[in-house]
Amino acid sequence: MSFTEIVFYAFSAIMITAALGVISARNPVHSALFLVLTFFATSGIWLLLEAEFLAITLVLVYVGAVMVLFLFVVMMLDINITVMRQGFIKYLPIGILVALVLVTQMVLLVGPENFGLSQFAEPALKAADYSNTRELGRVIYTDYVYPFEVASVILLVAIVAAIALTMRRRPETKYQTPIKQMMVKKSDRLRIVKMQAEEKQ
Amino acid sequence: MIPLSSYLILGAIMFAISVAGIFINRKNIIIILMCIELMLLAVNINFIAFSHFLNDLAGQVFVFFILTVAAAEAAIGLAILVVLFRNRGSIDVSKLDQMKG
Amino acid sequence: MLENYLPVLIFICIGLITGAAMVVMGGFMLAPRRPDPAKNSPYECGFEAFEDARLKFDVRYYLVAILFIIFDLEIAFLFPWAIVLEDIGVFGVVAMGIFLGILVIGFIYEWKKGALEWE
Repeated sequence: MSFTEIVFYAFSAIMITAALGVISARNPVHSALFLVLTFFATSGIWLLLEAEFLAITLVLVYVGAVMVLFLFVVMMLDINITVMRQGFIKYLPIGILVALVLVTQMVLLVGPENFGLSQFAEPALKAADYSNTRELGRVIYTDYVYPFEVASVILLVAIVAAIALTMRRRPETKYQTPIKQMMVKKSDRLRIVKMQAEEKQ
Repeated sequence: MIPLSSYLILGAIMFAISVAGIFINRKNIIIILMCIELMLLAVNINFIAFSHFLNDLAGQVFVFFILTVAAAEAAIGLAILVVLFRNRGSIDVSKLDQMKG
Repeated sequence: MLENYLPVLIFICIGLITGAAMVVMGGFMLAPRRPDPAKNSPYECGFEAFEDARLKFDVRYYLVAILFIIFDLEIAFLFPWAIVLEDIGVFGVVAMGIFLGILVIGFIYEWKKGALEWE
């Protein structure tokens, strides 16, 4: 067993264990943290497949941003965990059954006899000065420029949707408006009244 | 050497785990969203494995766009979830039947 | 190419071993563990805890996180572009200009809506 194979099986084992943790953890916070571990292991697998840029992007964008968002939402909604767990045992057999059927079918289809080394030979390892980011960039901004612009529209839709859905002004909050505070003149606040001195009684 | 089938089987196992997760966590919509992320991840593993073995960069470009769309999807999905919780006080999937005809 | 990442792998392994060793040694081998109900109960001045220790987060954090994701992805698109800029020339600059322009529309929208303000 070569060293790469050991690394592959180690990362795969971490990934599958963590994925099982995601779906079976009692607390949604633990699920989210298991999902982070899954993403880390996946990025290791992607490094083995020489997709360096995507491996780093997965850690940056998913672990760094999307999972933080999930954790925020989990902590924002206080959920009754016991209610959420109802039906877990009831649907467990059917879930396992469906998963087993799915795995069996797919393994029969994509197993070593159809996609083994004899059908798809291992490509030569890239040279040390090969830059995955450069090759990716060379096609994204030329051949795939139209999907690239569509991606920006999708991101725009995400911004607008998130703000439109969750933004709400609270009328009861009291604000400071610094510009108004700065612009205040003495005459706005202070009134000097001339009056007669009063006699002592 | 690791054959292509190992990566594909890994993707298949991940996909099956996330399908099972949707089945057994029927009440908790947050876990369901996480399972959808896992499914997309399983598909991405297949894309990158094929891209590596066929020596074609198109698969990696596709994965990059899938990551973008999945992040936007997670953002909007969670926004809907937040609004849902604010209006209903629960995130029980089985109670979301107002549009049933 | 992969051998360049060997230090990263070694780093991860050392990190895992260090963390695991600390947990195992501190939690199971060295520290005395004699739990009893009084030790395990939450400390709250002699009476039972009134409510859950967790506090709900405000929705405003969510909005900030979501805007962070969007612009994080935008930066992820900028990295390969910056590397290949001299190969793709004016076409690449225009493509990225349109991309950034569309996202600036979103930025203006959130600014005008006041999503960036912490009320």
